Amino acid sequence: MSDAPVTAPELLEVVDQPTDETAAERTPAVRAERLTKRYGSLLAVNHLDLVVPRGSVFGLIGPNGAGKSTTFAMMATLLRPTSGRITVMGADPAHKPRTVRRRMGYMPDNLGVYDNLRVDEYLEFFAASYGIHRSEWPALVDGLLELVDLSVKRTTMVNSLSRGMKQRLSLARALVHDPELLILDEPASGLDPRARVELRELLKTLNGMGKTIVISSHILAELEEMCTDIAILEAGKLLAAGPPREILERLGGARTVRVRFASGVTESFTVADDHEQTQLLRRLVVDEQRDVVEFVEESGGLEQLFMTITEGIVQ
Amino acid sequence: MSVNPVLARELRERMRTGRAFVVLGVFLSMLILTVYLVYQGSATTGQIEIDLARQTRLGRDLYEWVLFVMLALVLFFVPGLTAGAVAGERERQTLLPLQVTLLRPRSIFVGKVLAAMSFLVLLLVAALPVTMVAYLLGGIRLFDGLIGIGIVLVVAVLLTVMIAALSTLAKRVQTATLLSYGFTALLVLLGPLLYFSMRVADGSSGSDLENPPAAVLTFNPIAIVADATAGERIDDGGNPLRWARNELVNAKSMAGDTWFSWFPDDDFGAQFRFVDGRRDGFPAWGVGTIALTLLATFMSFLAIRRLRTPAETER
Repeated sequence: MSDAPVTAPELLEVVDQPTDETAAERTPAVRAERLTKRYGSLLAVNHLDLVVPRGSVFGLIGPNGAGKSTTFAMMATLLRPTSGRITVMGADPAHKPRTVRRRMGYMPDNLGVYDNLRVDEYLEFFAASYGIHRSEWPALVDGLLELVDLSVKRTTMVNSLSRGMKQRLSLARALVHDPELLILDEPASGLDPRARVELRELLKTLNGMGKTIVISSHILAELEEMCTDIAILEAGKLLAAGPPREILERLGGARTVRVRFASGVTESFTVADDHEQTQLLRRLVVDEQRDVVEFVEESGGLEQLFMTITEGIVQ
Repeated sequence: MSVNPVLARELRERMRTGRAFVVLGVFLSMLILTVYLVYQGSATTGQIEIDLARQTRLGRDLYEWVLFVMLALVLFFVPGLTAGAVAGERERQTLLPLQVTLLRPRSIFVGKVLAAMSFLVLLLVAALPVTMVAYLLGGIRLFDGLIGIGIVLVVAVLLTVMIAALSTLAKRVQTATLLSYGFTALLVLLGPLLYFSMRVADGSSGSDLENPPAAVLTFNPIAIVADATAGERIDDGGNPLRWARNELVNAKSMAGDTWFSWFPDDDFGAQFRFVDGRRDGFPAWGVGTIALTLLATFMSFLAIRRLRTPAETER
C-alpha cells in the first residue's frame, strides 16, 4: 500500500467503489461524465456522457474524426481527459491504470503484430506481460486459439497469417488475461465479408461468456445486429445513445413498409413505429382479407438513422 | 525469478533472423583480417622469429589494433542494431498493445537494453580468442587482454543505453537510425574538435593560454579505450589508440598540474604502461566512463518517461 496522500480523484474513486457483489454488478462497465479531450484548439471529445451497461455489446458509431478512438484511448488508460470524468469497471483509468488494465482488454484500430514470432509465442509473450505464470501458458494458449479458431495455426509465423487471422490473433491477445471488458476499435476494418461474419460470431460468443464489449465500426448494419446499445458521436459530441431499436423509434421518424400481394401488386405504406406496423399487418390480413405474400420494412435502419442525424461535420 | 518478457521476445526474434549471424560473421572477419594485416606488416622483415623484442612489440601492436578495430565496429554496429529498439515498436504499431499490459515503462526499456547488450556480449566474447593472439606472442598479459575486452564492453554498453534511449524519441526506424549515427559521430568527434579548436584559438590570440582543459577529450569512447589499454610511447607508429593516448598525455602536459595529472612525467619514456605498471591519480578512462554513465543515466530517465502513456505522463 502506498503511503502517498490520497488525492481528490482517488477519494471519488473510493466513493465509487461498489460495496458488495450486487452493487458491483450494478456499476456500469464504463461511465463517462462530461468527458472532454482537447488537443490544442481541437476539441476531440466534447462533454460526453455515456453509460456502458455490464454484459452489453456497446457500439460507438460516428464518422472519421468523431472522437471514437480518442474516447477508447481514454477508456484504455492511454489518454487523460482534459476535463470530466471516466470510470472503467469502477476505477479511474488515469489514476488507477493498472487496476483498469487488469480488467480490460484493448484492441487498437492499427493492427500491429510481431512478425518474427510464431502464433503461440506471440500469445505467450503477452501472457508473460500480464504476469501470468509460465505453467499456465500452454492451457491458456490452447484455449484462446480454439476460441478464435486458430488452433491449426499454432506454430505458424505471425507474418504468414491473413489479415483476418491477424485480427483474430489480436483479439486473442486482448483476451489473454481474461478481461471482463473488451474495447475494440474498428476490429472489422479491412476484413473480407467472410472474416467479418466470423468476427461477429466470435464477438457474440464472447458476449455470451459474460464479457462486456465496446466496439466501433463503420459497418453499421453489423453493429445494428450485434449491439445491445449504441452511441452516435459526431465532432466529439454525443448525438444519441441507447438500444438501437429505441433510438430508431425515437429519432428515425416514419418508416416505409413494402407489401407484395398474391396478385403480384406491390404497395408501400408509411408507419410511425412498431405498433402502427402491427396494426397495418392486422388491417391487411384480418380486416381486408388480402393475400399478403411479402411484408418488408424498407427503412435503412441504423444506416439511414446515422445519415439523418449526423451532418458530416469533420473537425 | 522470471525473465523480462521483452528481453525474452527480443532475443528470440533477433536470433531467429539471419541478421545476427551476419553481424557476428562480419565482426569476427574484420578482427581476423586486422590480425592478419598487422602480422604480415611486421613479418616482412623476416626477423620476427629470432627477435624477441620485436615479437613482443608485434604482440602489443596486434592487441592495440584489434581493440581499435573492435571499438570501431562497436561504434558502427551499436547504432544500427539498437536504433530500432523502441522506434521499431512505434513504427509497426506494437507499442500501444504493450503499453496497456501490466509491464511498466522501465521494464520495457530495460528489456530492450538488455537484449541489445546480450548480443554485444556475444560479439565480444566471440572476439576473445582473436584478442588473445597477442597474448601468445607475449605482447600483453592475460589481464591486459581481459581489461581491453572489458573496457570496450563498458563503452559498448553505455553507447547501447544511450542509443536505446534515443530510439524512444523517433516514430520511425529510419529517423532513429540517422539520429543514432549522428549522436555517435558527435560523441566521437565533439571532444577532439572542441579541444583542438580551443588550442588553435588560444595559440592565435597570442596569449599564454595554450592549455585548454584536457578533460573535454576524456568522454570520447576512443580516448577511454586508449587510456585504459594503450602503451605509453611518444612514437605512435600509426596506431590510432596509441596516438589518442599520446594526445591525452600532451593535453595533460599542457594543462599543467591539474586534477588531470593521472599520468606521471617520469613515465614518458616507458615503452608500455602495463609492463611498467605505475599509475598515479585518477585515470582519464575513469573520468570519461563516469561522464558517459551520467549521460546514459540521464537519457534513460528521459526514455522511460517517453515510454509512459500520455495519461501517465500528464500526471
